[in-house]
Amino acid sequence: MTTQKPEKKIDSVKSKDFPDSPNPKKSTGFVEIGTKEEITWCPGCPNFLVLAAWKNALAKLIKEGYKQEDFAMCTGIGCHPKIYDYLNISGVYGLHGRVLPVCLGMKLGNPNLKALGFSGDGDAYAEGMEHFIHAARFNADITYFVADNQNFALTTGQSTPTSALGYKSKAEPAGEYNMPLNPVKLALAAGASFIARVNPKDLVHTQEIIEKAIKHKGFAFVESVQDCLIFNMITKELVPLMYKVDNKDKKKAEELADEWDYNSKTGKIPIGIIYQENKPILEEKWPQLRKLRDKGVGWKNLK
Amino acid sequence: MRLNILIGGKAGQGINKVSQIVSRVLNKLGYYTFNYRDYPSLIRGGHNFNILSISNKKVGSYESKLDFIIGLDEKTVELHKKELKKEGVIIGCNEFCDIGRNANIAQAGALIKILGIENSALIEEIKKEFGENKESMDAAERGYKSKEAKFNLEKLKNKIEIMSGSQGISDGAINSGINLYLAYPMTPATAVMHELAAKEEKYGHIVFEAENEISVANAGLGASFVGAKVMIGSSGGGFDLMTEALSFQGMAEIPLVVYLASRPGPGTGVPTYSMQDDLEVALRGGHGEFPRVVIAPGDPIECIEKTNEAFYLSEKFNVLSIILSDKHLAESEFSTDRKPNKVLDVKVTRKVPGEGIVKATSYEHDKFGNTTESAQIAIEGTKRRIKTYEEIKKEVKRFQMIKIYGNKNAKNLVIGWGSTKTVILDALDAIDGSIETEKGKYKFLQVLYMKPMSDEIKKEIEKSNKVILVENNVTGQLGRLIKEKTGIAIKNRILKYDTRPFTSDELKEEILKAR
Repeated sequence: MTTQKPEKKIDSVKSKDFPDSPNPKKSTGFVEIGTKEEITWCPGCPNFLVLAAWKNALAKLIKEGYKQEDFAMCTGIGCHPKIYDYLNISGVYGLHGRVLPVCLGMKLGNPNLKALGFSGDGDAYAEGMEHFIHAARFNADITYFVADNQNFALTTGQSTPTSALGYKSKAEPAGEYNMPLNPVKLALAAGASFIARVNPKDLVHTQEIIEKAIKHKGFAFVESVQDCLIFNMITKELVPLMYKVDNKDKKKAEELADEWDYNSKTGKIPIGIIYQENKPILEEKWPQLRKLRDKGVGWKNLK
Repeated sequence: MRLNILIGGKAGQGINKVSQIVSRVLNKLGYYTFNYRDYPSLIRGGHNFNILSISNKKVGSYESKLDFIIGLDEKTVELHKKELKKEGVIIGCNEFCDIGRNANIAQAGALIKILGIENSALIEEIKKEFGENKESMDAAERGYKSKEAKFNLEKLKNKIEIMSGSQGISDGAINSGINLYLAYPMTPATAVMHELAAKEEKYGHIVFEAENEISVANAGLGASFVGAKVMIGSSGGGFDLMTEALSFQGMAEIPLVVYLASRPGPGTGVPTYSMQDDLEVALRGGHGEFPRVVIAPGDPIECIEKTNEAFYLSEKFNVLSIILSDKHLAESEFSTDRKPNKVLDVKVTRKVPGEGIVKATSYEHDKFGNTTESAQIAIEGTKRRIKTYEEIKKEVKRFQMIKIYGNKNAKNLVIGWGSTKTVILDALDAIDGSIETEKGKYKFLQVLYMKPMSDEIKKEIEKSNKVILVENNVTGQLGRLIKEKTGIAIKNRILKYDTRPFTSDELKEEILKAR
C-alpha cells in the first residue's frame, strides 16, 4: 500500500516537537472532514456508506458549532476500523478489542472531548466484550459504532459471536455450532443509555442516528447491520424485514431487542433508536472531572 | 544496639497496630526501625506476623534471631520460639486474656516497660491513634506495670520518619503532578492505589479502578494521549495482561508510566510474599522492538525520586517507563532521615486533541500518523524509535543510575538491586563495623537503572577481586543482564528464592562464605 498526503496535514504523536496545527483554534464552520488516504476497503463495501454517513454527520455537527478539534476517535483493528485513516479528526488507532478503554481514558483525560469509538463485530463482541459491558455501566459520554457484518473479514471470514448458526468458513468448515449473541439485548441489560441499530444502505437515516448518538449524553451504542461482500452477504434477506423505530420506553425496548435474534431471516428487524434514557454520566459523577468540564479544559491546561 | 521483635497473631487481631504504635514511640526517641510484614492471603484468622527491628543506627532489614516475641495468640509463640535468642523474652497473651480486644495494647505496654521507656510516650501515641479511650489507656498501663525494665533506651538526636515503598511511589507520582492513576486490585501493587486514592481530595487527581488490567493500560494510553499525566500499576499476571498495550505504547509513542510490584513465582505464585523474579518481564514484556526505561528503586526515598524521573523521561521522550518494586519494598516500613532530591518539573508540552488534530497509532505510520505498510517508512519508523532510545541513554546520565556504598577502594564488590539494597547495607555494616567507614573490606554497588544500564558497572567489576551478586530470585536475573551488557559472568551468586526476603545476619554469613 502506498500512502498519499492527506488533504490537511495531520500530526502524529512523536518524540519532541510537533509541527504547527493545520487547523485553527476555533472552528470557522465547514472544514474538510475526509483525508486523501487511499481507501483499501473492497470495492462496493458498505463501509464506504458508513464513512459517508459519518462524514456527513460530523460536517453537519461542525456547522452547528461543534469543534472539529474536539472530536477524538479510537478505532480497533479490522476492516471497518480503517476509517481512522479516512477521517480528519484526532484519534488513536488502537488494538483489536480495546477501543472502549481508550475512549474511556480520553474522557478521563479531557471530559470536554467528544470520544468516538469504531469497531467491527469481532473486535467489539469477541475480544472486547468485557469492555463493552463496563462501558455501558460507566456511562461515559462516548459514541460507539460497531459495523457488524457477522464475520471476521480482514482475517478472511472466520466466525464471530454474531455469525449465524451454520455459518461456514475456513475455520468452521462444519458450520457455526452456536447461536449468535444479541448485542442490542446485551447493551440494554448492561445499562447502555442509548442503543440504536442502523442499515447503512439507508444513508440519510444512518447519518441522522449517528448525529443523535453523538448528541446523546452518555454511552451511545450504534450497531450497523451490513454485508461483507466477500465472505458474508446477509442483508439481501434482512433489509426487507427492517422497519424504523424511535423508542424511549424500557419495556418496549426489551420487546424490540427480542424481535431479531441475529439468526433468523424472517420476522421483523427494528432499526433506529431502540432505547434512550437520560442518566448521570461518568464525567458528572467525579468531582475532578466536573471541575475540568466547568473550566472547559483537559488536565494539560488545568491551571 | 539492635533488637528484633516479632509480633504475631491471627489476621484482624491488631498486629500492625502494635508495631505501628511501638515504632512511633521508638522513632520519637530517635531510634531507627524497620518493620517487615508477613501475612498469608486471607483476611481473618490464620497466622500473621510483623518483625520490628530497632537500632540506634540505620536499619533496613530484620534478623533471623529474635529478642522478643509478642504473641497475640498462643500459636505465635509455639511457631516462633525456636527463633528466640537464649535471653529472649516472650510476652504472651494469656496474662491479658481478660482485657479483650485491647490485649494487644497491654502487650505493647509490657514491651515498652521492658525497653525502659516512659509509659507517657506510649500513652501519647495511643491517644493519637484512639483518642481519649480509657480502655486502651488502662490496658497500656496494666501491661506496663506487669513487667520490669531490662533495657534503658535513651533519647537520641536522630530525626526519623516512617515510610513504605508504596508511600514513596505515591509521593513521587504526586510530586510529578499525576492526574490519573489506573489500576485493578492486585497484591502487592494495590497499596499504591490506596495511597493515591486517600490523597485524591487533597491533590485533585483521580484513582480509577477499571474492569481489568487490559482496560487499565489502554485507558491509560487514551488519557495520556489527550494530555493527562498517567501512571498505571499492577503485579504478576495483571502486568502480563498489560503487556499488549505496552507494545502498543511502543508504536504509538504515547507517554506512560507503569508501576510493577512483583510477586513470587509464575502463575498466581505466592501472592503475599516477596521475590525479585520479574526483572525480565519488565525489560522485555510486549512484542516488537521499542525503547523503554526500567528503574528499580531500593528504598522509599528512592521510590519518590525514581518515580519522578520515570514521569519526566516518559513525558520528555514519549516513552514507556517502568518502576520495578516488590512486596518487600512496597509494604515494609522503613525509617527515613534523608530528604529526596529536588523535584523534576514534569510538563506536558505536546499538542493534544482539543488544540488541533493529533493522531497516534498502533500501526506503523508515516509522519502524519497515517497507516503504512511501506518498507521504506517502516525502516524510518524503526530507526526513529531506536534513535529515541539513544537520546534517552544520554539524558539518564544526569540521574543516579547506580550508587556505590562503603569503601570506594575496597576490592570486594557486592552487587544488588531493588529491595535487597537495605539488607545488603545492614549485612556489610555488620561485617565492616560500619558501611560508612573508609577502611571497610567491602563495597556495595546498587543498580537503579536496569534499562538503560550504566557503563560504570563494568568498570567497577573489573576493578574488584571478588564480585558477589545478591538477588531474591533463582536464576540471577540482574547477573544475566550484566553478562549481556558487559560479557562478564558473576560466579559468586547469593540467590534466595524461598519467597521470603534476606535476613541481614544470614546474608552476612553468606557474603563471608563467598570465595
